[in-house]
Amino acid sequence: MSVSTPPVAATLGLRDQARSQRRVGVRVVAALPLVALVLLLPAHNGYASISAYAAIFVMVGLSMNVLTGYTGQISLGHQAFVGLGALTTANLINTGTTAADPFMFAVGMVMSAAASGAAALLLGAVALRIRGLYLALVTLVFGSVFADAIFTLPSLNGEDAGVKAYRPTFISSDYRFYLFALAMVAVCFYVDICVRRTKIGRGLVALRDNELVASAFGVNVLGYKLLGFTISGAIAGLAGGVFAFWTQQFSDKDFTAAAGFNMALTFVVMVVVGGLANRVGVMAAAVFFALVSPISPLMAAIAQHTGWLNFYTDHKFYISNLIGAVLLLQTVILNPGGLGQVLRPFARWFAGHPFSLHDPDGGSGVGAMEGSSVRA
Amino acid sequence: MSVLEVRDLTIRFGGLTAIDGLNLKVDEWEIVGLMGPNGAGKTTAFNCITGFYKPSHGQVFYKGDDVTKLPPHRKAALGIGRTFQNVGMVKSETVLENLLTAQHTKTGYGALQGIAGSGAVRAREKELASRAEAILELLGLGEFRDRRLGALSYGTLKLLELGCALASDPDLLLLDEPSSGMGPEESHQLGDRLLALRKELGVTMLLIEHHVPLVTAVCDYVYVLNFGKLLAEGDPDHVRNHPEVVAAYLGGEAPEELAETEVPDDQQALAEATS
Repeated sequence: MSVSTPPVAATLGLRDQARSQRRVGVRVVAALPLVALVLLLPAHNGYASISAYAAIFVMVGLSMNVLTGYTGQISLGHQAFVGLGALTTANLINTGTTAADPFMFAVGMVMSAAASGAAALLLGAVALRIRGLYLALVTLVFGSVFADAIFTLPSLNGEDAGVKAYRPTFISSDYRFYLFALAMVAVCFYVDICVRRTKIGRGLVALRDNELVASAFGVNVLGYKLLGFTISGAIAGLAGGVFAFWTQQFSDKDFTAAAGFNMALTFVVMVVVGGLANRVGVMAAAVFFALVSPISPLMAAIAQHTGWLNFYTDHKFYISNLIGAVLLLQTVILNPGGLGQVLRPFARWFAGHPFSLHDPDGGSGVGAMEGSSVRA
Repeated sequence: MSVLEVRDLTIRFGGLTAIDGLNLKVDEWEIVGLMGPNGAGKTTAFNCITGFYKPSHGQVFYKGDDVTKLPPHRKAALGIGRTFQNVGMVKSETVLENLLTAQHTKTGYGALQGIAGSGAVRAREKELASRAEAILELLGLGEFRDRRLGALSYGTLKLLELGCALASDPDLLLLDEPSSGMGPEESHQLGDRLLALRKELGVTMLLIEHHVPLVTAVCDYVYVLNFGKLLAEGDPDHVRNHPEVVAAYLGGEAPEELAETEVPDDQQALAEATS
């Protein structure tokens, strides 16, 4: 892991610099197929909807990345924050049968983040006093009870019929809605980068590793834990807001009982399989878990081609869990850095470093695992 | 006015009185040593001063203000830096990132500004990074810039920890056994380095140290603790030859009139005192 390579800056002579500038061009060209894939493939009619769903998963992945990856706290109740975001924006706009007003749509998005951020702050206040298994249990109970008690109120779930949230006209098509979801992903991605590159992320990682050291460095440990929960909750809430317009209604059944718990579990599994504190890995894992989800047309297509369609249709709600479980096991046993560790040479290359399969600084995913970051 | 003044500090854990009525003063520009056999309460005293423990009784004054009840991060922001006995840094981060984390209280932007990532924040981050690089150069650790801490030797970590404590630009530095894990040659260098730091940065220091040559070389004044009580104080030479101190460290009998002190049977303290 620790190969003694001198820092890049020190070894880059002038000629190397010129060469590395030429390589920028190579990187742009290499990135083009990826960009084309992300932008153009969903333009195909059948793929737009599942792509938007994947974008929502990526947002939730980034949310879990802040909480579990950076702050080192676990949440088994994240479906409650996603659901609360969906509930807030749907009830605020309550379109009936007409398309949403663009202004109210924007207000709804902001409020979904605000509401879930506030709820996460509440959970964080509890989490300050407990850790490990107890924290996992409390978040599990919080998520289930919060969803089952509040989402099922008839005044909030449209008398059990669901609250309609029709998309505003400018993003009414599935592909346009996908582009909107992609823009929201970009916002969350930007926030994640800002968090990690400033004192916020350093403070969170410091308290994840060692709370005593963090406070000796001047980090307000209690405040930063709450901040970690709040940022994570707000991103999850925004994802929920997008989700409400993806399904075009808020239905409590998406977030309560078995469906809700299933969702929460998938979120935790995807952040571990992606690689703790590894942004790229978590996003890739989120896309993967969206594509193998029970609603995925991709899985159905594969099943049809292989002649397993009937079997798949009967068992599709378990198959994604099974895939998740297998991947979780192989991550924990064989590849603790997760998918992020596998992708890291490529991510580093795109970021301007020379391509190398041996990571000179170890890799944050492995470091995070070694630091016994997730106290659960 | 003294930078640090501890008055009548007492802390009990259940039935155990870990520190009993400690009085201590550190004036500006002074380097003060805190000695004592293992279990004497030195690190506990540090933890009371920096706010990790709440004293049962007594006060801590920093630059004349009563800071007894402030939490650790507030004290860090006031300019009290500290190091830990077993290296206190962020293990999963690189050397550079640790030095950036250490400047947490000096960033000058709020949490919300950081999340929004304005241009001012980016400019400030660049300044912090160049300050971190300067500290690395100062300590001769430039080559380790992008290494994670797991790959570094213990001596390097201790030195880096000192760098982290300095990065926060403290007025008072509390060092918990800075020379542990260092050979005689390295600890001699450390002494020179501490004196140079005081001269260049004007840092006042309180250090826990067992290594007698280092204490003699850098400290202006020394307090010796034993079983939570102040055993002796004075300049290093005076303390070194103090009969009770010798008795506490080496075992054996104290002179008649001072014989109240119990003698700890501690092989490690003996080894450290004689090394």
